[in-house]
Amino acid sequence: MRYAFRDEDRDREVELTPLGEGRWRVVVNGAESEVAAEALGEGRFRLTDAEGEAIAEVTTAGDRRFVRLDTLEFVIDRQTRARRRGAGAGGGLEAPMPGVVTRVLVAPGETVKRGQPLMALEAMKMEHVIRAPADGTIKSVRAAAGQLVAGGVPLVEME
Amino acid sequence: MFSKVLIANRGEIACRIAATLREMAIRSVAVCSEADRGALHTRVADEVVTIGPAESRASYLNVAAILEAAKRAKAEAIHPGYGFLAENAAFAEAVENAGLVFIGPSPEHVRAMGDKRAARALAESAGVPVVPGAEGGDTDGLVRAAKAMGYPVMLKAALGGGGKGMQVAHDEAQLREAIESAGRLALSAFGDAALYLEKRLERPRHVEVQVLGDGRGEAISLFERECSLQRRHQKVIEESPSPGVDDAARRALSQAAIALARRVSYRGAGTLEFLVAPGGAFYFLEMNTRIQVEHPVTERVTGLDLVRLQVEIAATGELPIAQADVVSRGHAIEARLYAEDAAHGFLPQAGTALKVRWPRDPFVRVDAGIEAGDTVPVHYDPILAKIIAQGATREEALDRLATALDETCVHGVITNLPFLKALARAGEVRAARFDTEWIEREFLAGFTAVATAPVPERALIAAALAEAMGPAASASVDGAGPEGEGEPVPDVFATVGRWRLPGLE
Repeated sequence: MRYAFRDEDRDREVELTPLGEGRWRVVVNGAESEVAAEALGEGRFRLTDAEGEAIAEVTTAGDRRFVRLDTLEFVIDRQTRARRRGAGAGGGLEAPMPGVVTRVLVAPGETVKRGQPLMALEAMKMEHVIRAPADGTIKSVRAAAGQLVAGGVPLVEME
Repeated sequence: MFSKVLIANRGEIACRIAATLREMAIRSVAVCSEADRGALHTRVADEVVTIGPAESRASYLNVAAILEAAKRAKAEAIHPGYGFLAENAAFAEAVENAGLVFIGPSPEHVRAMGDKRAARALAESAGVPVVPGAEGGDTDGLVRAAKAMGYPVMLKAALGGGGKGMQVAHDEAQLREAIESAGRLALSAFGDAALYLEKRLERPRHVEVQVLGDGRGEAISLFERECSLQRRHQKVIEESPSPGVDDAARRALSQAAIALARRVSYRGAGTLEFLVAPGGAFYFLEMNTRIQVEHPVTERVTGLDLVRLQVEIAATGELPIAQADVVSRGHAIEARLYAEDAAHGFLPQAGTALKVRWPRDPFVRVDAGIEAGDTVPVHYDPILAKIIAQGATREEALDRLATALDETCVHGVITNLPFLKALARAGEVRAARFDTEWIEREFLAGFTAVATAPVPERALIAAALAEAMGPAASASVDGAGPEGEGEPVPDVFATVGRWRLPGLE
């Protein structure tokens, strides 16, 4: 099984093959290894690899994965095919953070210049302006003023 | 004593105030916005009144709605906490006009201290040093003033604010040049070329003194807190006592703070903020007329409950303790946990805190505004909790803080926990070699590089294993199934989390 993740702007992939009795064959970045995983309940498991043992704790929040390894915390995003398609083809502009849309400055069909403000979003007293990454045409506007949106939600589509 | 008090706030400070009211056998009334229904601060209070829509303006800043809630609940006093209406003189006045007690200073003091120039004048009149400054005058006058206070100096429009057109001059030539351009700027921006000259302190520390006054001229000091670890003027880690002042400076700071509190007959708890220059000279900055976010470090070293003292002073008009009763022992240090992404410009975060686990160390206190399953709304200040460690020495307290941060786990909402962990272990923090600009000048770039470096393969493998092993190995609360293929990103706001009936806690 292949699992694709997004780590900052990096695509990362892990391939797992069950070997039975809690053992797995792992391929990451072309390198093959073997690990053991023992479920401890409540979302915790003991991970044993060449480095030794670690207690892992993984929480799923939508596509996001919160990963705790002993006392270290990491956040990565699970990539699904739909998500990758959207990002590749649509030129969608996503909400950088959860917030309230305060202003919608463009309408579908409108041509915009690179850097032009398209939409403003407010969260916790901070305003964030979504700008056109390049010259183009607005294909669709996916949120209205006053609407509450989650982080990562597509707000404007350009082509 | 009051039998019922309304808490005009939310989050961790509302929970903190409710805890003391419970100890004092005073019934607590929480207020909440529609976005905060069922929030922890409403669950720990005895009663709750919904006061309006999510936006602060319509709820936590809505004076009429809060007074109406107090009247309906038959509360006798209002504790404003910090932020929101805590330093709003009109609110303090409206509370008093409604026949209720405002747990804080008089409206006049809230107003005077909120006006920087008035506060500066009051401090000067009490003999408290302020940052040397000179107003108006011609170029030669300003040059003479700069020479008297010593370079570098800062030049700004006398009528301006917010740092617009502010210029730094390191010598007379630079100053003469700056006067000309700043004067032109001031004239075009504010219609007045008058300039204000202020000594620029290089690498200052921020040290503040906690005071209590009875409103009739008596005031005492609960000593100082060191709050130099800041990012964009937002405090991150605070401690008491300050490792940056010696006993003589400590006494002098307390005496200055008491002098100002007595001079104005200050009532209740207040904090005087000072800038301390590397040589030890200190200057009054401003006075905060409310409970501070960082009050727990003072409580840890003095053993006093500041909220209880606020309530007692408000109820009786007397100081329940004398200066001789205040003794500082050991060391306490606090870290502020925020829902913000420290690796990416500290963007505020919201969502559901699916998993929350606090440290279990007996020498660590956690003032939290959330529990597992609670929603972190987008509308308010993103503070989630404060983690406060104490020890016999600073080193011990700091070790405990580092361990406590390691034990802390919040999943579901991105927090600044990695930033706090890195700070607690930084060499300069351990050696107490920092000033108010140190985080941004020397720490942040390195932290950001580490925080955005590739996630170790082990973490990726753990995430993949959690998927492969299914629910037994991963805590999932979204119910979207393991794949979630083609599903839209779940709208965290569509699920408000648990709902509870008011008062049924």
